[in-house]
Amino acid sequence: MHSKTSSYVGLLYVAPALAFVLTFTVYPLVQMVWMSLHNWSLIAAKKFIGFGNFVKAWNDPQFWTSLEFTLKYTILITPVLMVLGYLIALLTAENRPLRQFTRSVVFAPVVIGLGASSLLWYWLFSYDFGLINRALMDLGVIAKPVVWFGADADIALGAVIVSIVWKVVGFGTILFVAAIHAIPGEIGEAAMVDGASYWQRVRRITLPLTAKTILLVTLVSVIGSLLAFDQFYIMTAGQPRNLTATSVFLIYLNSFPYLKLGYGAALSLILAGIILVCTCLQMLLSRRSHA
Amino acid sequence: MSLQLSTRCRSALAGLLAMVALPAMAEDLQMWERSGGNAGMVDALVAAWNEKNPDRKINLTYIPHTEMVPKIAQAIASGEVPDLMGMDLIYGPQFEAAGQLVDITDKVKDWPELKTAVQGHMAVSTYEGRLYGVPLYADVSALFYNKDLFRKAGLDPEKPPTSLAEIREYADKITALGGDVKGYFLPGSCAGCNIFTVGPLMWASGATIEPRDANDEPLQGDGVKEVLQWARDMIKAGNVHEDARAETGETFHLRFGSGKIGMMGTGNFNITLAKEQNPSMDFGIALLPGVKSGQVSSFAGGDIVTIPNGSKRIDDAIDFMKFLLSDETQVEVYAKMLNMTTRGDMTDNKYFQAEPKVQQVAKAIAVAETPYTLKFFELINSPQGPWLQMLQRAYYEDTDLDTIISEAKAQMKAIAAE
Repeated sequence: MHSKTSSYVGLLYVAPALAFVLTFTVYPLVQMVWMSLHNWSLIAAKKFIGFGNFVKAWNDPQFWTSLEFTLKYTILITPVLMVLGYLIALLTAENRPLRQFTRSVVFAPVVIGLGASSLLWYWLFSYDFGLINRALMDLGVIAKPVVWFGADADIALGAVIVSIVWKVVGFGTILFVAAIHAIPGEIGEAAMVDGASYWQRVRRITLPLTAKTILLVTLVSVIGSLLAFDQFYIMTAGQPRNLTATSVFLIYLNSFPYLKLGYGAALSLILAGIILVCTCLQMLLSRRSHA
Repeated sequence: MSLQLSTRCRSALAGLLAMVALPAMAEDLQMWERSGGNAGMVDALVAAWNEKNPDRKINLTYIPHTEMVPKIAQAIASGEVPDLMGMDLIYGPQFEAAGQLVDITDKVKDWPELKTAVQGHMAVSTYEGRLYGVPLYADVSALFYNKDLFRKAGLDPEKPPTSLAEIREYADKITALGGDVKGYFLPGSCAGCNIFTVGPLMWASGATIEPRDANDEPLQGDGVKEVLQWARDMIKAGNVHEDARAETGETFHLRFGSGKIGMMGTGNFNITLAKEQNPSMDFGIALLPGVKSGQVSSFAGGDIVTIPNGSKRIDDAIDFMKFLLSDETQVEVYAKMLNMTTRGDMTDNKYFQAEPKVQQVAKAIAVAETPYTLKFFELINSPQGPWLQMLQRAYYEDTDLDTIISEAKAQMKAIAAE
């Protein structure tokens, strides 16, 4: 009896959180699944079509183009963010004024909105007025201005990657610095006494003891890259020939301007599934590293 | 005590004032309009209406252009609609077909002004013989040419090209001037700019572009291939700036005023803009030609004003429509601001007579067309749509044009059939 009362009291305690999750997570998710089974436009009556939207996605060449491009972007940018972020963390981990200042400078772009930074880089890469073409020409790297966006998908991808690395590398750096600081100092000191070089200590001590943070940052980076939208919407608009249209760009187009809510919901669920797989893999790796 | 009394009195007075003021505010008509259109024109129209109708003013709210369609759709779904909506005219048929707009046919059937209203706007405001809106403002496309560059290239600045072949011939000569000067401009990554300026080249050449519905065949006529071939040749000949390939529409309106382009298709809005941007530049305006001399066309764009189902002020909204089409508004608001009048019979007015360039571009109204389709964005305006894909492949690839056109046709038909 007492146990039953305790259960009710416990339920009462979690009720607000439960209500929040049910209202803002479970209900929208169920609604989205329901929506994905319909031909659903806000201005016309909805029609049940079963798995028609999923079949349509399977047969939609643009879906595969967008997914392939999104994965390519994720695969290319993630190692850059990780390696660069970690190297900067190693260089600036020590708490000295100049290094602290450097950390702040590297972190500063993280607090700028992605839309604002994308617009900034859009103009920096401008063919006519951009600083980058001017600088590269003055340095003799290029003979004439480069058309960064709209001409070649790989060039556009490279330009976007540069802008995003500038924007978010500081986020990983700060987490890595925190993880490095959490390593007990005596471990490093003992290794030094044993004659370990700097890189030996990084490889044998720092890297293994910050592995969980590395996996966490990888996961955040991968999810963020799979959900990339703003930067491509602003900088490339999907051009040339939709080759730089990401999966979320495709979801946006279908859900809003095309008013195909059902198809947009189906595409969202597919992307959510892919992200779920990535998360599970990360958790699996995390457990193994813990073991 | 007296301070407390004074405070209470002031509170009571404020409450009373609020009660008096609220009904007055509530009587304002609520109107939505997209941003990114001709905001200056719409502001002036609403201000003119408000001045004449102080008891039923319009409260104008701008919605970001890219969010307008979903915003309207959400408003309709939730029942929280404005009393009037200005919308990009090409979306008219989609909302009319969905039964979301008020049928105004019977209320306006005796208006003589409608007989001369811009045909493209009237066409997209009509669905199955019923009328759902009237023109709010009109933009038309035309061929703008730089007379200074014409003179430098040895061309007669008073004889603009009258066919695609002549454009090519003149562009070659202007490009040969060298430096950063090019003969023509084709926006490589902007679907909307292309339907506005390349679409008329195809229409003038006897072609059709968009399918009206699932039973209609898109991209009909030799003009499609001929214009694509012409554009491909123009680009290969170096007559278009290289960065035009990346033009998404962000800087399209600033291109002609740079003074580095011999000719380009653009809109009436560029008259004022080019003058502001480059006051010393001498330029002329002609109609966009087709393959053969004498063939001309234009795109009539702009907005229509409609009444969403659920509007509580239908009669006031209809009065606003009548006001827009009145002789006085046409001359003293539209023409005075050197914007296109939305009635063809009002182009001969004192303001246009004083500005020959506007007179010239006004001629486009008579030959202008507006696409009529239930899925304009998906088919034409989207950066991912088949229209822009077809153009980009034609402009920048060597793939056989028949293949490109037939693949674009298949994509358009699939979208129209959904």
